[in-house]
Amino acid sequence: MSDPIGASVRRGGGYDRVTGRQKYVGDLHLEDLLHVKLVHLDVARARIRSIDTTAAAAFEGVRCVLTSADLGQPAPRFGPVYEDRPILALGETKYHGQPVAAVAAETKAAAEAAAELVRVDYEELPGVFTVAAALDPASPIVQEPELRPDDPLRRTNTLRERRYGWGNVDAARADLVVENKRIIARVLKLPLASVRIIAPDSGGAFGGKQHPKYEPLVAVLAQRTGRPVRLVLTLEETFQEVRRTSCEIHARTGFNADGTIAFQDIQSNFLMGAYADIAERVIAKSNYLACGPYRVPNARIIARALLSHTTPSTAFRGFGTPQVAWAHESQMDAAARQLGLDRVEIRLRNLARKGETFVPNDTPADGNWAESVRKAAAAIGWGTPLGPGHGRGIAVAIKESATTGASYAIVRLHWDGSATVLAGTSDMGQGARTVLAQIAANELRIPVESVRVVMGDTAVVPFDLQTSASRSTVFMGQAVMRACQDIKTQLGYDSPPLGEGRVGVSSTDLTDLLQTRFGAVRGEVIGVGSMRREYLAEHPLGEMASFYEFSCTASEVAVDPETGEVALVRHVTVADVGKAINPQQVQGQDEGAAVMGLGHTLMEHLILDDRGRIKNLGALDYRIPTSKDVPLEMCSLVVENADGPGPYGAKGAGEGGLMPTAPAVASAVTEATGVVIRDLPLTPERVWQEIQRHERGRQAGSDR
Amino acid sequence: MHPFAYTRPATLSDVLALLDKHGGEACLLAGGTDLVVELRNRSRRPSIVIDIKQVKELAPTIGETERGLRIGATVVMADIEKDSRIRRHFPALVEAAATVGSIQIRNRATLTGNICHASPAADTAPALLVYGAEVNVASVRGTRRVTLDQFFVGPGKTVLKRGELVTSIDLPLADNRRAATFTRLTRRRGVDLATINLCCKVEAGGRTTFAYGAVGPRPFLATDDSGMLADPRASDAAKDEILRRLLTKATPISDVRGSREYRRAMLLVMSRRALRTAIDRLQDDRFPSPSTGGQDDRFPSPSGGGKGGGA
Amino acid sequence: MIRVTVNGSSHALDVMDSTTLLDLLRDRLGLTGTKECCDLGECGACTILVEGRSVNSCLVLAAEANGQSITTIEGVASDGRLNRLQDAFLEKGAVQCGFCIPGQVMAAEYLLRQNPHPSAADVKEGLCGNLCRCGAYEQIIEAVLAANQTSRESLSPSGGGQGGGR
Ligand code: FES
Ligand code: FES
Repeated sequence: MSDPIGASVRRGGGYDRVTGRQKYVGDLHLEDLLHVKLVHLDVARARIRSIDTTAAAAFEGVRCVLTSADLGQPAPRFGPVYEDRPILALGETKYHGQPVAAVAAETKAAAEAAAELVRVDYEELPGVFTVAAALDPASPIVQEPELRPDDPLRRTNTLRERRYGWGNVDAARADLVVENKRIIARVLKLPLASVRIIAPDSGGAFGGKQHPKYEPLVAVLAQRTGRPVRLVLTLEETFQEVRRTSCEIHARTGFNADGTIAFQDIQSNFLMGAYADIAERVIAKSNYLACGPYRVPNARIIARALLSHTTPSTAFRGFGTPQVAWAHESQMDAAARQLGLDRVEIRLRNLARKGETFVPNDTPADGNWAESVRKAAAAIGWGTPLGPGHGRGIAVAIKESATTGASYAIVRLHWDGSATVLAGTSDMGQGARTVLAQIAANELRIPVESVRVVMGDTAVVPFDLQTSASRSTVFMGQAVMRACQDIKTQLGYDSPPLGEGRVGVSSTDLTDLLQTRFGAVRGEVIGVGSMRREYLAEHPLGEMASFYEFSCTASEVAVDPETGEVALVRHVTVADVGKAINPQQVQGQDEGAAVMGLGHTLMEHLILDDRGRIKNLGALDYRIPTSKDVPLEMCSLVVENADGPGPYGAKGAGEGGLMPTAPAVASAVTEATGVVIRDLPLTPERVWQEIQRHERGRQAGSDR
Repeated sequence: MHPFAYTRPATLSDVLALLDKHGGEACLLAGGTDLVVELRNRSRRPSIVIDIKQVKELAPTIGETERGLRIGATVVMADIEKDSRIRRHFPALVEAAATVGSIQIRNRATLTGNICHASPAADTAPALLVYGAEVNVASVRGTRRVTLDQFFVGPGKTVLKRGELVTSIDLPLADNRRAATFTRLTRRRGVDLATINLCCKVEAGGRTTFAYGAVGPRPFLATDDSGMLADPRASDAAKDEILRRLLTKATPISDVRGSREYRRAMLLVMSRRALRTAIDRLQDDRFPSPSTGGQDDRFPSPSGGGKGGGA
Repeated sequence: MIRVTVNGSSHALDVMDSTTLLDLLRDRLGLTGTKECCDLGECGACTILVEGRSVNSCLVLAAEANGQSITTIEGVASDGRLNRLQDAFLEKGAVQCGFCIPGQVMAAEYLLRQNPHPSAADVKEGLCGNLCRCGAYEQIIEAVLAANQTSRESLSPSGGGQGGGR
């Protein structure tokens, strides 16, 4: 039997996905279903004077029309950390597209037609749409102060301000101070998914999988009507539902003449939107590592979570890291230029070495990060001659992985030598199902095909905190591994798994063993395993990192100086994964993350008008990469030093490829054009504008 | 989706009678790639939708007249791309048709629909304009023919009157040697709406014709009769001056796809490139039929798609 | 009343004139392999073959398909045997969350029928109307190129969109 660890085993659940049998929530057939349509206004902030639902309620087929007036007093609010979000707009709308009413009807057509009949009398009000406005004491206050009566910040638009730091920034001396007032990662205003969010019926989509948005609304409607209720958002509505946090980061970095960092002084202002959702955690966690994977003797980080009259933001692949990486990597490039240092070299000089503490009182560097950088540089041909109009860039990023959490797994070894793994992880495309099967197969020394992984039904699977933060391979992987060890202890066979190079018990031996043990009455062995990390009260994030997700990207671009178009010639990602349990899936995750990263680097952004309305809702004018927008050549590499806390030394993966994309590509564009761009995305027009500005500056300079 | 009645008449006279009867309440359906979206978002609310795909006089055929080719009202973009006669005589139209949406869209969207929709950014319009296309119109009152240049009025507006429909588009063959090219600027390399699009035609006699889209309320023509643009000995500066003059007709606006300033600047850049390609093609006897796919291997320009690269 | 042949079997159905072909397939015939996402013709998740041509079923009215023959993702594998493209998608790791995959497979099927030996550029062009938010394009392109290499058996027992055979 071949070693299942490190093998590109075919995806579990793949058959259903290529044949169209896979049922997503929207594909479930429900008897007696009602359809919901939301009612929203084409304004951002407005005072609602009255809502007249008479005509809508009288429309044929309508079973319920709901407004916040129907929800009782005080109106319920919800949220994963701050309970600030009402089920429907309460008194005023706080962002473009916030639903003010909902209609449930027998058919989609009736719901739609009736939704149009809801009459809303409202008055548009000035709103807060930018970081500057959120910080301006003269601006309107987004959140009702009574929601946090004891908070001294309640009469401001700052929900929370976090301060991290060590050393003494003010006393630190530096030979060069790079200051960028305009490192604006205004960037990442992406909607969460191009896939519809669907709640099948009350209780269906509520679990811990994602923080609820419209689920409470659907639940109320189901409760009122006593029927299953389905809300299918249009793609336009998903844009108004949720997005990635946007931000402006002001960094002042001191460097010594040799390129080493003397201090970092960072102010991050994240515009989180009208409600907190999980955004404050995104801001807290990403800014905790705002200095990147570097050795920084003195640091001061002030991170503000600002409320605004824009779409609420939430966790999105990378969890705030792409934003802070854009800042610290732009600083490294600026310093390299001014000190005359190579961009790879300056990074190598500052990267924390394995085992070195780089954030006081937290997990030391857990990988050979320089190896990743060298690998990426070699793969992109760093230092070799470039064609005209071409440029290369390199960037790194680091993400604090899962901190606390608990995962439980049950493994049942059946009498015929097959096994069932019960795990609460969800396989959202990352391939957790496959990886867990590989681990169980390896531990029990049975073929991967004999392992079935059961997920996603809380009636049968044990507790798992959540599938997030690239944690499943580590947390659930360990739990499964321990459950298998439990089985082996019970069976009294304890030879090492195949992965460790010794020939194990053959599967016929195992079957013999089981049959001898159980005899004609049959039976099974049940193993239980878990991995837990508890809260650490004094730690600002609740616990130290269980591992770091470190990633390096190098990119070569060609820029058309006349039009500003950027073409990707070659794109390299390197992920320090400890051990790639399924190399094909690691590659898919990393390249997929890179493509997604190229989206926010080159084209994706929400465009607001001056009244806070999104101008490019939907698929037509919000552009994401297509098959023709991928780099001409793509290459994803891994560093495998078996130094992670997961099974076989694995670390989490799947977000890394996205995190340093923007700074790597921007650095390449700078080399190609001589122009430094601080704002994303690098649309043809923006690149062209910057080239023009640069040219004008040069001409003005030479005229003098 | 707004409720409506669907009907699928078999003859042109039935269609005309229905149009006559329902007037503004009726919508014609051919490919549906624009109409169905508008029906769904309720920006159009007809009481009756008339599907013309089974009308025998409007069969999806590309016929020959003594003056050139006649493209039937239900001919789809994918068929335009494949037709050997169009590829030979009207290659810029093939280039333009190949940029309309994805292949799924081009399997459905008709050339006539693209024109009747009268989007200022319609990709096939500049090519049809420089080739001197004419539009055949029918109604219960009879038929008429108008040049495409007369056909466009403004965004979404054409000269079509109540009760009229387009039965075909005529493409006259040229009496002298000519070469043309289509190009466009987009925000990404895959399927996109044009930020600007244009077509350039150079004739053996030296006359140069441009047509531009997405930079005014309707696609428009601009012609240089001086011969200077096509003259290989003329200086770039002199050509630029003529181009700038031609481009004064453009009135681009700022929108989510691009600013006025960027569009203006790109008009000149793209015009120069298209002119160069057209001149090269005119001089190259072996000029092959245009490519309809895989533009992105012609590196690096993502959207000009190196279509300017030509032969 | 309209009659359509879907994956080889014929159906006579009463539908509202404003029903799209996508709704007909998903809501009336329970063929939920064809996905709904943008409703604009931009994402390709709803790609099917009508009379052998790939189309966005969100942009076609059910009534327009009266008398026509349709192949959906459910009609591509025969007797549980994956078609060469489906197999290649799995082999090359082209499937992540899977939401776009039925549309990708249908678009690729059409591409290979039109052009049995596509280049990488042809594949990119042929699939550029099918968005993948997971960004699995590299693997999808590889899979289509690999599928054209493997034997031409399986799927399309008949050409022309009859898909399911009879
Ligand atoms: S749902 Fe039809 S193309 Fe997106
Ligand atoms: S596999 Fe997830 S969208 Fe393509």
